[in-house]
Amino acid sequence: MKKKWLIVVSLLLLFSSFMFSKSLTIWIGGQVAELDETWDEIISKFETNTGVKVEVQLFGFDTYYDHLVTALQGGIGPDLAFADLGGWVPTFASHGWIEQLDDKLTSWEGTNQIWENLWPTVTYQGKIYGLPWYTDDRLLMYNKQMFKDAGLDPENPPKTWEEFLYVAMKLTNPSKRIYGYGVSGTKTEHTTLGYMMFLYSTGGQLLTNDYKKAAFNTEEGLRALKFYTDLALKYEVSPNPLSYNEDDYRNLMAQNRVAMSIGGPWSFPLIETANPNIDYSVSVHPYAVVPASVLGGWALIIPSSSKNKDIAWELASYLTSYETWMLWIEKEHGPMPTRKDVAKDSPYFQQNEKWQVVFDVFPHAVARPPIPEWPQVSEQIQIMVQNVLLGKSSPEEAIKIAESNVNKILGGNK
Amino acid sequence: MVKISKSEKTAYKMILPYVLIIVLLVIFLLSSNIYLSFTNDSGNFTFSNYLNVLKDPVLPTIIKNTLIWTIFSVIGQLSLGLIVALLLNQIDKGEAFFRSIILILPWATLDIVAGVTWKWMFNDMYGVINDILLKLGLIKDYIPWLAQQKTALVAIIIANIWKGFSLSGLFFLAGLQAIPLQLYEAAEIDGANAIQKFNHVTIPQLKPILITTLMFTTIWTINYFPLIYTMTAGGPGYGTETFVTYIYKISFKFLDYNKAAALSNILFIVIFIIAIIYLRVLTKEEKS
Repeated sequence: MKKKWLIVVSLLLLFSSFMFSKSLTIWIGGQVAELDETWDEIISKFETNTGVKVEVQLFGFDTYYDHLVTALQGGIGPDLAFADLGGWVPTFASHGWIEQLDDKLTSWEGTNQIWENLWPTVTYQGKIYGLPWYTDDRLLMYNKQMFKDAGLDPENPPKTWEEFLYVAMKLTNPSKRIYGYGVSGTKTEHTTLGYMMFLYSTGGQLLTNDYKKAAFNTEEGLRALKFYTDLALKYEVSPNPLSYNEDDYRNLMAQNRVAMSIGGPWSFPLIETANPNIDYSVSVHPYAVVPASVLGGWALIIPSSSKNKDIAWELASYLTSYETWMLWIEKEHGPMPTRKDVAKDSPYFQQNEKWQVVFDVFPHAVARPPIPEWPQVSEQIQIMVQNVLLGKSSPEEAIKIAESNVNKILGGNK
Repeated sequence: MVKISKSEKTAYKMILPYVLIIVLLVIFLLSSNIYLSFTNDSGNFTFSNYLNVLKDPVLPTIIKNTLIWTIFSVIGQLSLGLIVALLLNQIDKGEAFFRSIILILPWATLDIVAGVTWKWMFNDMYGVINDILLKLGLIKDYIPWLAQQKTALVAIIIANIWKGFSLSGLFFLAGLQAIPLQLYEAAEIDGANAIQKFNHVTIPQLKPILITTLMFTTIWTINYFPLIYTMTAGGPGYGTETFVTYIYKISFKFLDYNKAAALSNILFIVIFIIAIIYLRVLTKEEKS
């Protein structure tokens, strides 16, 4: 008899904890999830001000997407979550998993402080579904010490493709396993982003402006594909790209083994943690014709399954407020806020040359096409690059196949 | 009518609720998967998911990869398992110690831990395997194992053989220990040597276990996901993409649940047929 009562009472206690406390769940994923101390500080301020208890769950980048998709699909998601600006928001919106935010945004003070080129990434069928929280762009990250050791000027990183190839070859020494530039070629988003950096710098583009057809099977697109893969295949300035991507190269750079790679503001704390003595900087990525970059970032979304949508919005606008961002930059020196006023006012940014590069390059940055089919399109780009790297197709064949597959995907046939 | 004793009746009553829940769960999951596979986005009945699967240009590749992956893994695991079981059977002292290191350890290692470790062992710049092969003089240059389609397949099969041979090993060990010693003594009296004893006593006695282990290993290998995913994620290209990694990709990366359901139902039917074939062979064997 006693056992039965124990079970009943404990179940009651369990249920009451759900009913009586007003609590909010927020899921944080991606690289910022590692900055958990600052999260605690900012969230507890919100809890004190509003009396709402907030449960924070942090996820590593690799598993976050699967977790989030599973929860949203099952209708048991958190009240507020982060979503990558690489197409997640339109994808989720097309499935009806997240809330429209247009009304909330018209009455919010921060709406016209957000960089304009960010809104398309959270828009689906003309309505806005996410609040961009942090953004970034992609740059050339380089190891100044390795430049000095090779007799190159660390204050003068290469700008054109010709300078870039010369510098990369000078830095490469395969017998010592030292490489000039890391080409990303894994079956991950990094490869698509790598190709896009080279593509847009030739003046080419990935899809047509209405996102309805592929636009990369052009002279520019082919030139970019050839150069990107030749860096590894012909000029051999990179470790085997099929095994490594940006994140691996950042670690290799911290060990003074790879001199140049693609990186961005998120890389700063990560490479400094990997090697506190690292002597590095960033510049605009070497380009063929015009400087180019790809922007990314994360936005806050409110799942439709949330029972606390209004409080979730309060938390979202608090996290994106001027005060919170100024505090965040003071403590963490990053990532890049989506607010122009913080980018301009923060004293840390004003005296940091790396961040000035980040802001200078940002107007050149394009977003990945904000369409629900983006994951499939991205996979075709990865396959295209991999087929050339594997020697399975010539660049001309690979790009034709990719164009045809992308058009099939965008045409509605799956 | 078999007489069931009172204690057996109570035993059945106790497990009945759990069995019921599991059976109902399986029926529910299977039927909702079948429903999903015949539906499209707007909820209408359609065969298009199955057609899309059959039209998918990746299909021949995943069939080929799954066949190679399964056949070689199974042969490897069963052979290694049998050898280890035979060796362990010879030891008198310290059998439990060796058994735990050799057999239990690979089985107990978490799939993800095993996958990441093997991935680093096969690394093309710092990997242990390349280092040893080079020092032994077997290769001249480091091999980029996971960056080439053929060697990537070899690499994951090797890792899988290591990870899964324990199952066969344990089954065979139990089977070997159950063989009555008189059979071996009788064979010796007849003048049989070691190989003849193996062929005429050991193998026939182990046949039922062999077939059962073969069946389980085959089915589990076809379905095995974690090692492939952590080591290669189905790449490079589609070089190590099997049925299950592709189903995962369609559902989680492309969010095309209907097509994934169709493909998984096809896989289910294939495995079902395999299981029936094995069971037929097993019952024939037991009757003889």
